[in-house]
Amino acid sequence: MFLSSLQKEIRKTLAFSYKNLIMTKRNFFTIFEMLFWPLVSLFSVGLMGGYLELDENKLAFIMVGAVSLSVIQLAQLDVTYVLLFDVWSKSLKYTFASPVTFYHMVMGTWFVGILRGFVAFVILSFFSIRLFNFNLTKVPFFDLILFLFGLFTTAMLIGMSACILLLVFGRRAEIAAWTLTAMIMLICGIYYPISVLPEWVRMISLLIPVTHFLEFFRTFYGFPSTYSNPLLIGYALCIAYIMAGVFISELALKRARKNGIITKLSE
Amino acid sequence: MVYKSFFGGKNFALKDLSLEIESGQVFGILGPNAAGKTTLISILSTLLIPDRGTVKILGLDALKDTNKIRERINMTSGSPNLPWSLTVYECLRFFSMAYGMSNKSKIEELIEMFDLSQYRNVEFEELSTGNKQKLSLAKAFINDPELVFLDEPTTGLDPDVARRIRKKILEIHEEYNITTVLTTHYMSEAEQLCDKIAFLNHGRIVATGTQKELKKIIGARDKIIIELSSGVKLPKLSVEGVIGVDLKGERLTILVDDAEKRIKDVLNLLSPVYRYIKKISMEEANLEDVFVELAKRD
Repeated sequence: MFLSSLQKEIRKTLAFSYKNLIMTKRNFFTIFEMLFWPLVSLFSVGLMGGYLELDENKLAFIMVGAVSLSVIQLAQLDVTYVLLFDVWSKSLKYTFASPVTFYHMVMGTWFVGILRGFVAFVILSFFSIRLFNFNLTKVPFFDLILFLFGLFTTAMLIGMSACILLLVFGRRAEIAAWTLTAMIMLICGIYYPISVLPEWVRMISLLIPVTHFLEFFRTFYGFPSTYSNPLLIGYALCIAYIMAGVFISELALKRARKNGIITKLSE
Repeated sequence: MVYKSFFGGKNFALKDLSLEIESGQVFGILGPNAAGKTTLISILSTLLIPDRGTVKILGLDALKDTNKIRERINMTSGSPNLPWSLTVYECLRFFSMAYGMSNKSKIEELIEMFDLSQYRNVEFEELSTGNKQKLSLAKAFINDPELVFLDEPTTGLDPDVARRIRKKILEIHEEYNITTVLTTHYMSEAEQLCDKIAFLNHGRIVATGTQKELKKIIGARDKIIIELSSGVKLPKLSVEGVIGVDLKGERLTILVDDAEKRIKDVLNLLSPVYRYIKKISMEEANLEDVFVELAKRD
């Protein structure tokens, strides 16, 4: 009984992986976004570093930021696509009329996000070594995995937030799929340390998990952490936000079923 | 009583609504535009939550047991939009998985049943409107539902495709005895498919019943029309079921409660003038008459 219901839950989750994988495979632009923007970002940052004659450590600082941002953005987009593909196809009501929950959708597409994000990471690592002599994989394997998993978890949280905004505000919130990550770029220490930010912005940035994952990863590139256990703090924040996300998504879905936004988004 | 409003409670899409559908029926929901048909179907298929009232589907509470209900029902609508770049097979596979199933033979069976074999590898956006509708209907039966909602399933289709789809709906209903709730603008569709009909207007159920009962409610009459040679002296047509007689020139129109039932008696009465009868025809009151009449009522 338990096994068969577990199998059912897994199938429901994988349904969304299946759909996203096919839609990604068939859409030239989703492949384009996997290669083009991450490489543009890497080349720009790498070349700029060369022009400014940055030392090895400072180049590593911004390269880590550039790669992390690309990985988060890609993985996050996949999670958001779970609703966006349906909104664009006007098939949202059929998805919500089936016995799936928000978690099946998010988890299923997150797997695809992890896959795409990981492929992008491998490609960016390759070009970093070949073109800029910067090795992203010199970090101990287990630490690298923990860092990447932190980035993917952050991506899931951003994707969930974009989905919640879509359910609350409808098509007007589509833009959130692309802007939420940009906000992170601004305040989470992607291209500069958060110490340069005003005090109140720094407080906000400390509430975002990716700030701590970057702090942890940069310790391997000559930037010792200014506080202890950044990785632990990052994951603790992730867990707290996932719990909050589950609660808020329930409320958003209930609201969407009350005001008819699911049927409106299917017209 | 179910109530549903939009725009902050100013606009009631459904009010005072109470409805019971027996299992195994094809139940039609008819009504003019903006009567609340789609809102009602959306509530019944758990996509919308009413402002007030209780909704029980298959004996379960639609608010509390949403996913349990969704496992046992399915739906389709007149705008059959499915994920655009999935092929026919992939669409059915996706929904089969979303219902927690792994039965690939069911997918093949539905592809066959809805004549989609030659399109199995064609992407949804490249299908014709008729084939999109067929795929959407196939999707509605992917989980062997006990209850299926068909919201204007033949809207926008050419008459031939619409006829074939109606035939398919009927065949499936007869074979699997699936309770079917159908909304439609086409009266002929309702006449052909529905065992029972609820007529909705301004968010309220105006009348419910079988086609015969609805005709009775509005007082619709069948007609027996007889063409006679001129100058015939008619006998008195006083027989049970005859409501009125109207002779205009050579055309005699007899209003009856049920033409098929009364024709024999009427012809018996007309036996003295048999040789003057040129043509006999019967005109049954149809659902269109019911629709027009009920749409006038608030």
